[in-house]
Amino acid sequence: MNGSDQIRDDFRELIEAYALGALDSEERAAVAAHLATGCAECTAALREAQWLVSQLAYLAPEALPSDMLRGRLMQTARAEAAIARSQTRSDSTASKSMIPVWMWGAVAAALLFALYNAHETRVTKDAIERTRASLEEQIQLQKESARQLAVARREALILTDPKSIRISMPSANKDLPVLQASWNRELGLVVTGQKVPKPSGNRTLQLWLIPKAPGAKPEPSLTVRPDADGKFELLVANPPDSSGGTKALAITVEPEGGSPQPTTTPIWVGAVAGK
Amino acid sequence: MKQPNVFLAVFTPSDSSEVSPDAALVRRLLQRDVSAFEELYDRHSRLVYALVLRILQQATTAEEVVQDVFLQLWRNTAQYDGSRGPFVPWLLAIARNRALDQLRLKSERQRRREDQTDELPPVVAIPDFEGSLDEKRRATRVRELMNSLNPQQRRAIELAYFEGLSHSEIANALKEPLGTVKSWIRNGLLRLKEGLQTAS
Repeated sequence: MNGSDQIRDDFRELIEAYALGALDSEERAAVAAHLATGCAECTAALREAQWLVSQLAYLAPEALPSDMLRGRLMQTARAEAAIARSQTRSDSTASKSMIPVWMWGAVAAALLFALYNAHETRVTKDAIERTRASLEEQIQLQKESARQLAVARREALILTDPKSIRISMPSANKDLPVLQASWNRELGLVVTGQKVPKPSGNRTLQLWLIPKAPGAKPEPSLTVRPDADGKFELLVANPPDSSGGTKALAITVEPEGGSPQPTTTPIWVGAVAGK
Repeated sequence: MKQPNVFLAVFTPSDSSEVSPDAALVRRLLQRDVSAFEELYDRHSRLVYALVLRILQQATTAEEVVQDVFLQLWRNTAQYDGSRGPFVPWLLAIARNRALDQLRLKSERQRRREDQTDELPPVVAIPDFEGSLDEKRRATRVRELMNSLNPQQRRAIELAYFEGLSHSEIANALKEPLGTVKSWIRNGLLRLKEGLQTAS
């Protein structure tokens, strides 16, 4: 084995972790630099590793996005497609019209002017780019604040709407507080708790929806950890089913990130009445 | 006749006359075909959403990220180069990167830390053997294979994939030596690969 083979083999050992994004910065930079040399074997190995890493997505508990999301996306796409079509029509009409000779002269002058200003433009562009990056960060922060506000509003609506079904979730352990849930057909499900002890280590509380259908498996929902005061509010914006198909809600302690099916006995259970 | 090894199939240049359903939909998407967009969304939104929700643990934020991912697909369809790999891993890589960016943004704001801004490797090509296992079977197989790892090894891989932690961050989180974490992750992924090869 010559020196370059050894180097390539050293990098090959890091490829999976590189694809996973797990390398620390020094190793990551070294692998990136090696890949930039165009090493065909490592590039092929990276492709394979990236595919492999993508398979880990199947570990995520199954979940359904809301119909509202689909509606929003398709509405946007339809609107943009309509704009693009009308743009294409007007471009096509414009291209068919005659362009006078004097206009070509004006275009040439404009091009010369643009070239003359290219350098200044580049400098300005760099400054704009820096400002844009900073603005982007601010916008992201604002979006996050707005999102949190929207969540809080939605929770408040669910909790106050008279149409919401109230569900009390007591625990078999009398030392533990009773949790409260409110389920609204349009707005979602909120579960709240006060003075709830934190699960040990990295473990977390996970909500389950127990279907009415005999033999149907509990449907996994979101996970939550109480804050320092033992308080939590869990908003399930799009419960996988309307409350009509659900017999009960249950909460178990699960490993961080949740489980596809319960691994412990439920601590809190609440029967879903009504509808 | 012996079935071809899946990873050999992966690297066998595909017959250009054979177009996967996703590739055909992406072509239509380039023509701004909304029905193709609907079909792609219906085929893959569940998996994308499940992944993003697993990372962010919050349905509202997860939906926002999924919306961004699909809008990016709609508006910048040309970014996907079908000759470099199948569609789903590409889409999942975008979704994961976006969700992890969101997670980091949140943790940065909360902890006022500036040491987690490193980006993941760019999304490049991925070998093609989509369709050789259907989605349900594949999910079951991946879960079985991961459950066959020791719990700490599985945890290390999950911390890297779902939380975007690096080797040394995982070693700190699990209180294990760095070398151990590195071997766990590599060996775990290689085992997953072997298991999926067998499954094909």
